[in-house]
Amino acid sequence: MGNLEAPKPNWQTTAAQPPTLWELAGLFAFIGITSFGGGLTAYIRRLVVTQKRWLTDEEFLPGLGLVQLLPGANVVGISVYIGNHLRGPIGAIIAVTSIITPPFILVLVLGFLYFHAGTTTDTKALLAGVTAAACGLMASMVFEAGQKAITGIFDIFLILLTFALVRVAHLHVPYVIMIVAPLAIWWHRPRPEKQSIAKDSKGV
Amino acid sequence: MIKTYIQLAGLFSALSLSAFGGGKVVLPSMHQAAVGEYSWMTDQQFVDLFSISMAAPGPSMMVVSLVGLKACLSYGFWFAILGALIATVAMFLPSSLLVFIAGKWWDSWKESPWRHSVQQAIMPISTGLILAATWIIAKNSIHSIPTGIMAVVALALMLFTKINPVLMMGVAGAISWFFLR
Repeated sequence: MGNLEAPKPNWQTTAAQPPTLWELAGLFAFIGITSFGGGLTAYIRRLVVTQKRWLTDEEFLPGLGLVQLLPGANVVGISVYIGNHLRGPIGAIIAVTSIITPPFILVLVLGFLYFHAGTTTDTKALLAGVTAAACGLMASMVFEAGQKAITGIFDIFLILLTFALVRVAHLHVPYVIMIVAPLAIWWHRPRPEKQSIAKDSKGV
Repeated sequence: MIKTYIQLAGLFSALSLSAFGGGKVVLPSMHQAAVGEYSWMTDQQFVDLFSISMAAPGPSMMVVSLVGLKACLSYGFWFAILGALIATVAMFLPSSLLVFIAGKWWDSWKESPWRHSVQQAIMPISTGLILAATWIIAKNSIHSIPTGIMAVVALALMLFTKINPVLMMGVAGAISWFFLR
């Protein structure tokens, strides 16, 4: 199966030679096992655009924009986009499967170890450190997200409202979004005269 | 048993389509369902599994697979793996299909002024949701002064250095094993 023919180019790519499905699978499996924590989309861009030159930035960045707008894990979304862009629907399936399968197997092994090795003093002590560090990592993401989100006092209100609906009213995330999103989109609606509401359009 | 599989598929496909701003934003719902409504695990197990998934390579939302695994663990080895598989597919398939479908209209839509509005609107919501997720993790990871110090140091390292988060979690685990065991 090594030399699956290049597809009829009804999706455009400026790459001189689109990768074979094996190359695609290989790179995404590599990304899957070598990617850690945040900043994954930057890592994917470096590999796919800068190193392999399968896509140009003009092709990659709109895809990233799309994925950030849609629900779902960004890494998974960008894999679908790149796979589809390079090799059509089959490419999308290959890219997603390849990026998820190795971590899936690894995490299952760790899961079984956790439930079988169970709660000895050793694992408890080890996990206490790992969860504390994970907590710090999550908190840093609040800061990063907040920095981008807060353009005015109303954004702070939206953050606190969302938090309260989840933590105090115990609503599920889909309902929280249904409540807060219309309000947030209305507030950030396109405005012809941004100066008139200057304090909230700064830096937008 | 079939009921658990249906619950997993229903929960994660709904969360898949509501994860605006990335997988982490649905963590509070995942916690509420797995620990509260369905009682698949304890608070501590949920936070342990989340941390394990963060410390392992791959997309950070692999905790989904572990929730599926635990939900079906009592049915036996292969049923647990099937549970993990169903949860994972349910989490990643709907949003992937959406990228695929929406991509076809993207070219005509990406210049719209509303695009920016939606983008700007998503961010405070996802910030609030990540804050709620952090709250849950903090409540079950900071048990003592040493773990509190470790969390604060980890936060500072993430904000002010370019340290690899997995390396950091590994070192934190080693330190805590050495001193707290």
